[in-house]
Amino acid sequence: MDEKVYKVRKPISDKIFSVIVVVFLALFVIITLYPVLNTVVLSFNDGIDAVRGKIYLWPRKFSIKNYKTVFGMQNIWVGAKVTVGRTVLATITSLIANALLAFVVSRKKFLFKSQLSLFWVITMYVNGGMIPVFLLYKNLGLTGTFHVYWIPGMISAFNMLVMRTYMEGIPESLEESAQLDGAGYWTVFLHIISPLCKPVYATVALFIAVWQWNSWFDAMLYNRMKTEYTTLQYELMKLLSSVMQQSGSAENAKNGANTITPVTIRAAATVVTMLPIVMLYPFLQRYFVTGLTIGGVKE
Amino acid sequence: MARENNKKKEKITLKEIKKQSFLMIVTFCMVAYGIVFYYWPLTGWIMAFQNYKPKNGLLHSKFVGLDKFKFLFEDDVFIKVIRNTFAMGLINLVTTTIMAVLFAIILNEVRKGWLKKPIQTISYLPHFLSWIVVTGILHDSLSSSGIVNDILLRFGIIKQAINFFAFPKYFWPIVAFANCWKETGWNAIIYLAAITSIDPSLYEAASIDGADRLQKIRYITLPGIKPTFLILLLMNVGNVLNAGFEVQYLLGNGLVQSVSQTIDIYVLKWGISQNDYSLGTAAGLFKSAVSILLIVIANELAKRYSDERLF
Amino acid sequence: MNFKKIKALLLSSVLAASILAGCGGGGNAAAPAADAADTTADAADAGSDASDAGDTAADTAASGDVKEFTMFITMPGSEINDDNEIAQMIADKWGVKVKETWLTGQTASEATGTLIAGGEYPDFIDSDEMNLLVDADALIPLDDYIDQYPEFKETWFTPEEWEKFRQPDGHIYWINPFGNTKGETKDTTHNDEAFWIQVRVLEWAGYPKIQTMDEYFKLLEDYIAANPTMEDGTENMAYTILCEDWRYFCLENAGQFLGGYPNDGSVIVNKKDMKIEDYNTSEDTIAYFKKLNEEYNKGFVDPESFTQTYDEYIAKLSTGRVLGMVDQWWDFAYTVNDSFKQTGLDQKGCNYVPLGLTTEAGMENRWHTYDDTVNQASGIAITTDCEDPDAAFKFLVDCAMDQELHDLRFWGVKGVDYEVDDDGLFYRTDEQRQNWADTSYQAAHRCQYSYFPQWHGTSRDGKNANKPEEQPSEFMNDMAKPLKDCFDAYGVTTYPQLIGSVQETNGPWFPMYSYSNNFTTETPGGVAWAKMGECKHEWLPKVVMAKDFDKGWDEYMNAYNACKPEDFLAEMQEILDTFK
Repeated sequence: MDEKVYKVRKPISDKIFSVIVVVFLALFVIITLYPVLNTVVLSFNDGIDAVRGKIYLWPRKFSIKNYKTVFGMQNIWVGAKVTVGRTVLATITSLIANALLAFVVSRKKFLFKSQLSLFWVITMYVNGGMIPVFLLYKNLGLTGTFHVYWIPGMISAFNMLVMRTYMEGIPESLEESAQLDGAGYWTVFLHIISPLCKPVYATVALFIAVWQWNSWFDAMLYNRMKTEYTTLQYELMKLLSSVMQQSGSAENAKNGANTITPVTIRAAATVVTMLPIVMLYPFLQRYFVTGLTIGGVKE
Repeated sequence: MARENNKKKEKITLKEIKKQSFLMIVTFCMVAYGIVFYYWPLTGWIMAFQNYKPKNGLLHSKFVGLDKFKFLFEDDVFIKVIRNTFAMGLINLVTTTIMAVLFAIILNEVRKGWLKKPIQTISYLPHFLSWIVVTGILHDSLSSSGIVNDILLRFGIIKQAINFFAFPKYFWPIVAFANCWKETGWNAIIYLAAITSIDPSLYEAASIDGADRLQKIRYITLPGIKPTFLILLLMNVGNVLNAGFEVQYLLGNGLVQSVSQTIDIYVLKWGISQNDYSLGTAAGLFKSAVSILLIVIANELAKRYSDERLF
Repeated sequence: MNFKKIKALLLSSVLAASILAGCGGGGNAAAPAADAADTTADAADAGSDASDAGDTAADTAASGDVKEFTMFITMPGSEINDDNEIAQMIADKWGVKVKETWLTGQTASEATGTLIAGGEYPDFIDSDEMNLLVDADALIPLDDYIDQYPEFKETWFTPEEWEKFRQPDGHIYWINPFGNTKGETKDTTHNDEAFWIQVRVLEWAGYPKIQTMDEYFKLLEDYIAANPTMEDGTENMAYTILCEDWRYFCLENAGQFLGGYPNDGSVIVNKKDMKIEDYNTSEDTIAYFKKLNEEYNKGFVDPESFTQTYDEYIAKLSTGRVLGMVDQWWDFAYTVNDSFKQTGLDQKGCNYVPLGLTTEAGMENRWHTYDDTVNQASGIAITTDCEDPDAAFKFLVDCAMDQELHDLRFWGVKGVDYEVDDDGLFYRTDEQRQNWADTSYQAAHRCQYSYFPQWHGTSRDGKNANKPEEQPSEFMNDMAKPLKDCFDAYGVTTYPQLIGSVQETNGPWFPMYSYSNNFTTETPGGVAWAKMGECKHEWLPKVVMAKDFDKGWDEYMNAYNACKPEDFLAEMQEILDTFK
């Protein structure tokens, strides 16, 4: 009897649900697309004209000059190379390091797993401040080099914990049977766990890559005078930050460099810097959809 | 006898150590790395108890004890600032988490790949816009002649345009909205990845049992992402006091100053801009202490009521 | 001691050592990739030679006698390309190239603090935190160098002015590059604060003489009543106030001017008895806010005044619908006038002209600053890391003393960026003017070295202005007809004449804000100063919006007095007393 009720009710409730899904997603897409679209539109608008505001979904006075300006900045190209370099290198090294660490702390039998987790969890909530970190990097010889981009941030507790959670969901039986066959932890990591972790590896790789791509503070702080190690985002920030100028003194503004980058050039630079990394996700998405069957989550 | 026991214990430990040597080695490297890059800079905390001057460095600056903390906690404004930071941190945590889970689940219900992928890509685009750009657009949309007032007026919900930024009561919701707007799609990625790890056969079995989609979400999808959800929640609880700087700074103004200032803004105004580097360190130390206290509590709670924990 | 324990310990430490080596190996495996990135970056450098400003010595040898200097300025600014054309011309002729780096995403004191902590400096520096740098022994004393160039010493500053730069240890470490006028002043614009009004309003009213706030707002109200909208139907707006962050001077300090005082910024100096007075509580200020409050409640003040961002404010002005506001010329005019020109609004009389309002009609006004304003708090300095301070200082002097170099920096290349007419006067064609203002052209071609010494006033040729924006012919050619009509109607040729401020020499303490800007929270006065700022940010908008002005003002005063303004005033008085 119960079954009958279910069979009758099911299509209706699912249909209502489908409608809700469609409405929700449609609204969501419109709202999230708007700021991006607006930025793109602005980037194609004439600079002086855009000062008047009120440009929403279509350029009022079309112009590609903003892009000419952005690509005319020589540092953009240097920055692009460095950014790609650091993103690729750091994604690889950091992914390996985090995966290894996550693997270690997710071993149920490991003696120090709790202490090691705590050790890394704490790092998320403490920092010594800009100056001590700066001094450390300087003493390690990292400032003024490319290495400052990938060595210091190699391990992040956040990424480690995300991976750990996923790895803990993998049934222990797989590991045990391999160990019965004489496999060491290294083999287990490489041949048992890692292949099953593709979705989470892809996720974390994306996090690292995007983090690397968007970083500019390190370039500004540690390689301020080194044009050859500038990054794309640092160049973008140079354009954007004039807007957020703090502790501004009227005196300085009056005297000269009263240069606020036109909003249209800011928009064009934003589009130029975000476009390449945005392409990365659709590429990584296939690791999500292939959905590896690992015999269910724990429990 | 006692020796015998001791020996036996050791034997097990040693055997375990040998077996776990690979794990030990990795641990050793990671700890060494962590000490150098994360724990060593904490020597900078000395600054909180000094009147730090760049020329004197950490070693030779004047020791002032708890003066900096006194300055902070004797200032009514700072107490208000803690309240603001805490409130905004909490509101943001709740809203962004709910939105991310909701979005991930609903997107997962879309079966057609050609629709799903573009939606997901669009959803995370705003993450790549800097706050300066996003707040600019938000400010514009909420202005008297902006699109929000336009819609509200057109549907007769309000009679007169509302100047949203002039009233303290709107400020926290606006900040929460800004965070959701920018980060929902991005935060959902991690849940979408977690959903992929759910065994498809569970859904099939449920279908055979006659479960509808809502029931499947409730009994399969939600439990499937629970570990991820809890871990992220635990981590973010510790970040409640890091409610941000840029959003509040860019959206705030004199009229809402009493609710818009966060600890970071306060530190910038009273510390760094005044060449008082120690004040920022003292505030940072306070934030760290609160964060660690919060995650310890949260971790205990999590251990007691579920089997997830941070450490 | 248990043998096995030791063995285990040994074993694990050996293993640890080997894995460390292993880790190192892993690192090395990754290193080639890093090196690859390095080499690509290097290759890029080699392509655009001489970009590596860091290694001064190496590059100098490679590219002839050109000395490369680095410079850091704690202000946001636009970087120029390394192969910038005018920079190259300057390098060819004067043998110096400067790589400027600007502030990004930090405050001046953060940036200066990290520089000092790291102990590495660029060759030149211009910071808002000069005292920190002096404290850290980061700057070289310039006294001897200044003495080597007597002509520069004499023309750049008067002896009294030089004294203002002398630090407690008896040395001069920096030179302010701004605010010096050579020869006859060419001030055509009122590059200061004022009540601005659109010329169409004045024209409509038949160019009346407006002297007080009452007259000003009466005119705005009447105009709105007669012309509720612009020609295209956009609603006119009588008055708006910019209040964003540090730009809230548009609301805050009009009281001092209305009382007839010059722009000391933070306080009023009563010259009669050499006393510091607080303009925040003066009668003029109360009257000013009372008037604003009245107008706000009548609906003539933009309700978004206190929440708008700078971008929104500029957008509002650019539509031409705002009839009046208080602002500094440099804060709005360049962008807004460009927009007016593009949209033709300048032909409809939307341009703004300044009015020298005072509390009572007929008072002297001091809105316009005629004198050079020398801010002794900041300037350009040479650091101890500079390997060739002689060459660095020589270039600094060249910037001030060599007219050809000066023209190249501010006018550009003759025949390319400007033309010379039969009388020897420089002018720009429309195209040249547009190019000069274009961002990409600036990066590739224009090189102002804008934080090196520079002059206002007249060029050494006795005809042209040192700065193009001050060239009278340029100024006249640029004016739209309604603006010209307005000038003619009032019988003036420049903005300063229009505002009609009294000409007098300011005291040596002027401007007092150059002292208060350097206050820190280490003194009670500094704490008070910072708190007063916070309090005013929050309360001044509330006062203007209050339903009952007196009540609102009283509440504000309670909050204000809690900040202990007397501490601040006392410290300012101490500074003023040093000039007695």
